[in-house]
Amino acid sequence: MKPVPVFTFTCPVKTNSGNKALEHLPVELANLNAVKPIVITGVEAVGGKAVRTLAGAFGDSGMTYALFDGVSPAANLALIENLKITCIENQYDAVIALGGGTIVDVAKVLNMAVSLKTADARQLSPQTPLRKHLNPLVVVPTAEASGLETSKLAHLDRNVFSSEYLAPNLVVIDPRLTRAADGKTIAATGLAALSRALEAHISTDKNPFRDAYSFAAIRFIKENLLAAVNNPGDKKASLAIANAAAMSGCAFSNAENGLLHKLGQVCQDMQQLPAGMVMGMFLPSVCGHYLNKGDNDLAALLHPLAGDDTFVQTPIAKRAEAALDLLDRFLAGLRGALGKDMPQNLKEAGVPGYRMEEILDVLANDRGGPALCAMVKRLWERQPMPF
Amino acid sequence: MKIVTDVQEVHAGRKPLLRAYVGIFLWFTGRAIQAAARVDKQVRKEFDNLPDDFAFSLGCLPQGPWMIIGKEKGAVKYLGGDSRGRHLHVRLAIKHVDAAFLILSFQESTALATARNRLIVDGELPYALAVIRILDIVEVYLLPKLIARLAVKRYPSWWSLGRKLGGRIGVYTRTLLGI
Repeated sequence: MKPVPVFTFTCPVKTNSGNKALEHLPVELANLNAVKPIVITGVEAVGGKAVRTLAGAFGDSGMTYALFDGVSPAANLALIENLKITCIENQYDAVIALGGGTIVDVAKVLNMAVSLKTADARQLSPQTPLRKHLNPLVVVPTAEASGLETSKLAHLDRNVFSSEYLAPNLVVIDPRLTRAADGKTIAATGLAALSRALEAHISTDKNPFRDAYSFAAIRFIKENLLAAVNNPGDKKASLAIANAAAMSGCAFSNAENGLLHKLGQVCQDMQQLPAGMVMGMFLPSVCGHYLNKGDNDLAALLHPLAGDDTFVQTPIAKRAEAALDLLDRFLAGLRGALGKDMPQNLKEAGVPGYRMEEILDVLANDRGGPALCAMVKRLWERQPMPF
Repeated sequence: MKIVTDVQEVHAGRKPLLRAYVGIFLWFTGRAIQAAARVDKQVRKEFDNLPDDFAFSLGCLPQGPWMIIGKEKGAVKYLGGDSRGRHLHVRLAIKHVDAAFLILSFQESTALATARNRLIVDGELPYALAVIRILDIVEVYLLPKLIARLAVKRYPSWWSLGRKLGGRIGVYTRTLLGI
């Protein structure tokens, strides 16, 4: 491996993963000097069983915690303001997010508002200066995780907050919570994690620390996603996907936002589509774009996808194509397992024609706008082409 | 401004059955260590190498139960479950009563639990290792081979039948009588 002269890497996230990992939570909170946390969740998204499992983990700890279980996809900064007032009045000193996606975004922005004692949380914006460590934030992801839980980003109310201080201090991944209700949910989680880890891994600004995270995330997904999709109750496979999602978030925080992430996020924000499914849909197009452009290290993808032996046996010049071939077969396997639950174009995903213009307008403002718009137009109703 | 009223405060529940199991197990093991220090040469030697006022505790966070073992005038004694006012050389703390149950019901060995970050050790490492060796020997005396193999890292199959049988009778008798 060539030494990299200059790079930075930040990952403030401690991870507790595995059987009964959730039961360590009271001790971990004590280590973070937190005595009265507030749990933020959405009971409709995570289910009552997950809330009861979390409550059980506090058993015998003697702690008192607050529970807000009303987070919905429509959460906004007005909700943050209300929760902030409650947190400050009742002196809640840590935030625990139980779930994924919007739930974690709400927890991150709430933690920011409470820690900064913002006068009015509705005035928070991506420009709000954030230059100090916040109160402890713990994320307990469920099967609905998107991978961004461990990242430095929070998407709320069409705002994208970004700061390394927004990343959680602790993520607790417990197999009792990571089993999905159906293959579609776990596929969306896995594809989002795969896409973000892939874009971090093939990035030209090499970073060996980031590569360690993205490598492990890609390997975990390649080896476990199909098993988890075929059997969403598979404890081992779903735990591996949750771990991969957490790792992809750490890798993603130290990389530039890639095309796949942008596409997924825009479609999720505007059409409430699962970002992972959109990213999976665009994977062949975006990878084909990277291959043609030639400014990404697609060859590096072969190692985590194929393993040591295949990687060393493949000539350097053929590694990129071999990696994309493997990725294509992997996606085909997922399509075979999910059938119509894995849409292959935006029309199948339920995007009405009249929303296309709006999506294209938003994408056109991006730095990679022309390429993104071309891909979206191409994939409006056609099947994705192999690489 | 409308204040969120859907925030409810929840007091953590209790786990009386798990606590009772762990408490009884620790009480019995504590008395068994006291007995083994009189019956088994290796356990006695381990304690002889420790300071005269040595004391250690084993239990679970944050609210117990605990087991305290210490040396008093050269003799090893089970000192109950309250460590207040006592200097402990080693404190082995299991992070949660559920984790303690996993370990003490032999679903996880001590080594595996350590690898899974369930144990916190306060104190000097050589003392902690001596305590672990003592606990392993006591578990071999107390448990049938089938279960003891799950609890210890390596079952001492090289022990003579006399040591196993005689030691077991001695440890159990002294444990039950508290002598």
